[in-house]
Amino acid sequence: MVQLVPSLLRQELARLAEEDQRLDGRGRWEARDVTLETDCLYNAEGSAKVVMGGTIVYAGVKFELRTPWPDRPTQGSLMCGAELRPVAGRKYEPGPPSPQSIELSRVVDRGIRESNCIDMESLCIVPGEKVWGVMIDIHVMSDQGNIFDACGLAAIAALRTAVVPAERFDVGEDHKLQVSSTPIMASFTRAGGRFVYDPSEEEELGGDERIHITLGDEGHLHSLQKGLRGVFTPAEFAEIFDVAQKHCAELRKLVAKKEGN
Amino acid sequence: MGGYGDVKLLQEDGLRLDGRKLDEMRPVKIEAGVLPAADGSAMVTHGLNVAVAAVYGPMEAHPRKIQRQDRAVIDVRYNMAPFSTSDRIRPGFNRRSREISKVTAEALESVVLVERYPRSKIRVEIEILAAEAGTRCAGITAAAVALADAGIPMRDLIVGVASGKIEDTVVLDLDKAEDNYGQADLPVGILPNTGEIAFLQMDGDLSPDEYNLAMEYNFKAAKEIHEIMVEALQKRYEGGEA
Repeated sequence: MVQLVPSLLRQELARLAEEDQRLDGRGRWEARDVTLETDCLYNAEGSAKVVMGGTIVYAGVKFELRTPWPDRPTQGSLMCGAELRPVAGRKYEPGPPSPQSIELSRVVDRGIRESNCIDMESLCIVPGEKVWGVMIDIHVMSDQGNIFDACGLAAIAALRTAVVPAERFDVGEDHKLQVSSTPIMASFTRAGGRFVYDPSEEEELGGDERIHITLGDEGHLHSLQKGLRGVFTPAEFAEIFDVAQKHCAELRKLVAKKEGN
Repeated sequence: MGGYGDVKLLQEDGLRLDGRKLDEMRPVKIEAGVLPAADGSAMVTHGLNVAVAAVYGPMEAHPRKIQRQDRAVIDVRYNMAPFSTSDRIRPGFNRRSREISKVTAEALESVVLVERYPRSKIRVEIEILAAEAGTRCAGITAAAVALADAGIPMRDLIVGVASGKIEDTVVLDLDKAEDNYGQADLPVGILPNTGEIAFLQMDGDLSPDEYNLAMEYNFKAAKEIHEIMVEALQKRYEGGEA
């Protein structure tokens, strides 16, 4: 569905930006309340529910046995998919995956994959014959802004609490999936001419380009994405990069708390 | 129905594997208004099943060819999340979910006062997050609460319940093992106040007497679930939340 952007909303966002305020009263770099629940889906081997303001996202991890790619006989595989189904909001329509949901899936996937938090060799059972395929499916249930960060957080929390169901597949004992780090995404949208952290639905609707940054444990960059129409300056990036570091570190602590370590 | 005769589903003392009596249903929990983005929503936890329904609308019906001049159309999508079953399901529609969506839509169109909204569409999205036999019934119950939560007028609520047969014995509310190895399953959608039936499916083998007993169990369970549905809606609109 093509959404109309009310010019009144854009004007209001610009006015608020001048006064350094936001529609919902938050500071420019302030996050909404985040709650994280893990082990919440009965049939998933790892699962998480993330609530960020009015945005609700579930992630579930499943495993399958497969034959490895011929050129990588000792490596398992990882797949991350996000579904933007019509349940998520009025603007979403049924049909094959939209470019938007493919972008979301791929950005989340890259952040996790490129951080190398999962050692693909550790997913090997019999070289050349049998490896684990790890699949993370993310289900967006309610979109009220910033689904990227919610999806990224749900995915890594589900992975970090996942148990490999080896007994069910008759290939050894069940064990925790080895995940060596916690990549976290931070997203910014230009609303009223300046960037804000953790954009709300209105800020996304009346805003311009968005930037997604995924950071690893050491603060290293693992994925970047600029989406939608607009340009930004290196100085603007430097500013949001600092903010991203701070928020990613906090969310990483939240995930660690759920794991009980 | 799988109908594998060698799986024991009833214990010596006449109770079922999970300790339930023949006419006992799994625990049911319902919460209304769980999805902020939706006009109405509900989550139903029925045993280990988790069904979430979102309602959007009434809204303009498009494409135009689906419009009805005299009433609203109800567009239902029943979908199982990829992680909802023990083996992952490939995302997207399959024949099973299409059929369930169709008959669920027709059941809901029988209770919603669709003539109040000519040329419009009401979207009902049913997402199954965890499946353990009985998801279509949990989905119907969730959809009914979500419609009520959205303030859409209905003649009655509609309750999804099922009974079936295991080891030649009629039982209420089959769980996964009973569904896999049992002999019959009779899921229905019951209007609790009028006593009418808006949804009906069945597979397996039931004698007329067994059918009658299964239906009796279904009506008993519908009454119990109806109370939980009403409580969930009262909690949402009378207690607490501003």
